[in-house]
Amino acid sequence: MQTKTILLIDDEQAFLEPLVDALEFEGYRTLKARTADEALEILKRERVDLVTIDIMLDPGESLKNHVDSHSTGLFLCEEITRKYPQIDAFCISVVSEMRTIRKIESLGIRFLRKGETPLRTVLNMLRSRLTGIAYSSERDRSY
Amino acid sequence: MSEVEVYIDQLKRRVIELEKENNLLKEQMEKVASEREEYLQNVSHQLVAPLNAIKWHIENLTGARVGYDRGIKVLRSVYAQATLAVHLAKNFNLMSNLEADHALTKLKEPLQEINLCQLLINLADDFQPLAWDRDIEISVLKDLFEQAPPILAMKPLISQVFSNIIENAVKYSDSKTEIVIEGKYVPSTDSVVVSIRNRGVSLDSNHAKIVFDRGFRSPEAKRKYPAGTGFGLYIARRIIEIHEGTITAGTRNGWTVFEVTLSVKSLKGKARLRAN
Repeated sequence: MQTKTILLIDDEQAFLEPLVDALEFEGYRTLKARTADEALEILKRERVDLVTIDIMLDPGESLKNHVDSHSTGLFLCEEITRKYPQIDAFCISVVSEMRTIRKIESLGIRFLRKGETPLRTVLNMLRSRLTGIAYSSERDRSY
Repeated sequence: MSEVEVYIDQLKRRVIELEKENNLLKEQMEKVASEREEYLQNVSHQLVAPLNAIKWHIENLTGARVGYDRGIKVLRSVYAQATLAVHLAKNFNLMSNLEADHALTKLKEPLQEINLCQLLINLADDFQPLAWDRDIEISVLKDLFEQAPPILAMKPLISQVFSNIIENAVKYSDSKTEIVIEGKYVPSTDSVVVSIRNRGVSLDSNHAKIVFDRGFRSPEAKRKYPAGTGFGLYIARRIIEIHEGTITAGTRNGWTVFEVTLSVKSLKGKARLRAN
């Protein structure tokens, strides 16, 4: 089976480090983007199976006048669902504003909260999305 | 117009004025509430980030997803993130105190002798693992610094001043750069000057003064790190003011430089006054 590629869009090294450790252990290929324009560039040239998106993010040089850094992730969710409907997307963020979360979920993107979601749950959800095998919450307790 | 009608007319006008004042107050209160909400959201965002990292690193360790060598590095990251969480919690505590009591009088602790060179070495060690995440080296140039006499100050507060400046320097430095900390004794003013310089997000000359204002964040800083509160340097300035020192920011040969001057004599005088 071909290795699946996951693009992690987040500017916090602290968040990326353990996630990359876990995903690489599971055999995925990971790519990282620290800004929205970097993420869109990567999507243009790489075959990506799944993306994780943070909400509060540097839009990057080319988008800095169009996108507010407090909701860059929302912009990305809209762009990615529109341009790359075949790519699965998850939003992983601390943002707790219900309006933003509802908008994201209305695009069919699952929202996971940083700090509350165990890494195990994230891995199970990503795996289930990539393999199509139903996700069992029972497994979350195993770590 | 009868006297009663005049009176009613006056009353009506007064009611309109009061309504205007009331609306203005409402607007101000809403502004304060929304600023507060944004502040609390940013505080929570900043604190959750290192705690999430610690939790996930521990899951990787307990789940045996990382080998021994990588495990040691993971533990270093856990330590770095814990350092950051403690640093942020201290800042938020100081900020609440500052909001309630502008002069931090309730926090006034006994003055104690501080060897600034040693303090800065300790802080550099504390923040180095965080800086390594982005290939940034923190170095303390000790030659002159070691010869500086100790100052008298409130240690936990002074320590927070420098950790705020160092934390900012780490956050806003470009990857693969250096943060340089220097210090020296200036006999003419009987003071110790500490400078911390880094390269990265540039400091606009118009911002050099207001960078210490409460809640100020430059547009570039806001864009790169949306979750900041703009309180770190404000806290630093307030603490330095309490100690009758100075704190400045500027640029020199492509470096962003923060300089803190703390007088040795005036604090000694202060301690004597207190003792008397």
